[in-house]
Amino acid sequence: MGQLTMLRAIIFLAGVAGSAALPAVAQQPAAGTKVVQITGLAGVKANAKGSLTPENGNLQFESAKGKASVPIRSVEDVTTGNDSQRIFRGTFGTLTMFAPYGSGRFLSLFRSKLDTLTVQYRDADGGLHGAIFTMPVGQADALKKELVAQGARTSVPVQGDAGSAEAKPSAKEKRP
Amino acid sequence: MKRAHCVMSISVLLLCALGQPTGVRAQTAPPPVMKASAIQVLMIQSDEIQLPAEFQIALYENLIQQLQKKGGFQHVYREGDHNADGAADLVVLHSTVRGFKKGSEMARNVTTVAGKTQIDVHCQFTDKDGKSVLERDLNGKVQFFGGNLRATLDFAKKGAKLAHDSFVAAPVS
Repeated sequence: MGQLTMLRAIIFLAGVAGSAALPAVAQQPAAGTKVVQITGLAGVKANAKGSLTPENGNLQFESAKGKASVPIRSVEDVTTGNDSQRIFRGTFGTLTMFAPYGSGRFLSLFRSKLDTLTVQYRDADGGLHGAIFTMPVGQADALKKELVAQGARTSVPVQGDAGSAEAKPSAKEKRP
Repeated sequence: MKRAHCVMSISVLLLCALGQPTGVRAQTAPPPVMKASAIQVLMIQSDEIQLPAEFQIALYENLIQQLQKKGGFQHVYREGDHNADGAADLVVLHSTVRGFKKGSEMARNVTTVAGKTQIDVHCQFTDKDGKSVLERDLNGKVQFFGGNLRATLDFAKKGAKLAHDSFVAAPVS
């Protein structure tokens, strides 16, 4: 009986792990880059999913629950970074921690890499704001380049402009 | 008879031992330093420590959110806000990162005991003229659940509580 339960647990775990290991197809919709707004954008809830588009001199964030716009000229600093997160997140992710035979801990090993984009901007009163976005890996640099091209400032030059000898494509920028 | 006496003595001793720290805590609760109706939060500085930009921004934004959530201040101004220039009794919060250890969420999930993320921040409150009125070292950490950025929320809660207790709470009569 115990062996049967264990066998079932192993089959379940193998199935879950197999589905998680499938390569995620990064799709770039025409509407903009799919991002998660972690914090900082005025009028948008934390961890809101949406799309980020730099157009007509504004950085626009659009989600199912609303829109927010920041004039790109008011952006004082744009930086990119990288991080990773659990594939199984949220309530389900928390529930997996109580799965039998330590399988929840095992599932914690499955992680996805992501890029972070940090934007510092000023509002109409001169108040300094900061917004953090996460997005699929490899998209933050392109977005930063577009923002800088439209007039945003950055404390770290865009990697492509710094000269090919110094530019390290794999390394993310470090602030001075 | 002797036994009852012994039990009674132990009970009295235990009560004294348990009662002592609460008494001390009540006595040393810091009275408000000064009354302030508005606070301005400056961007977190990290000259000595190399702090990732997302942590710096998260510290700043969470601190402002927690100060607004905690209430007590009529206005919570951001760095550079022109409206703060006219505020009467304003305190300015300067925060400098003194230590940062980026842990690992995976290590926390797998081992429970390893992978802690911790940020040490020196907080200085000044009045409008730049005179220091209060200085404290606070930290933010995440030990079990959540991503590394959760440490910034922990710090923000402590910072907001310190500001509230020091500048908003009613003076002890």
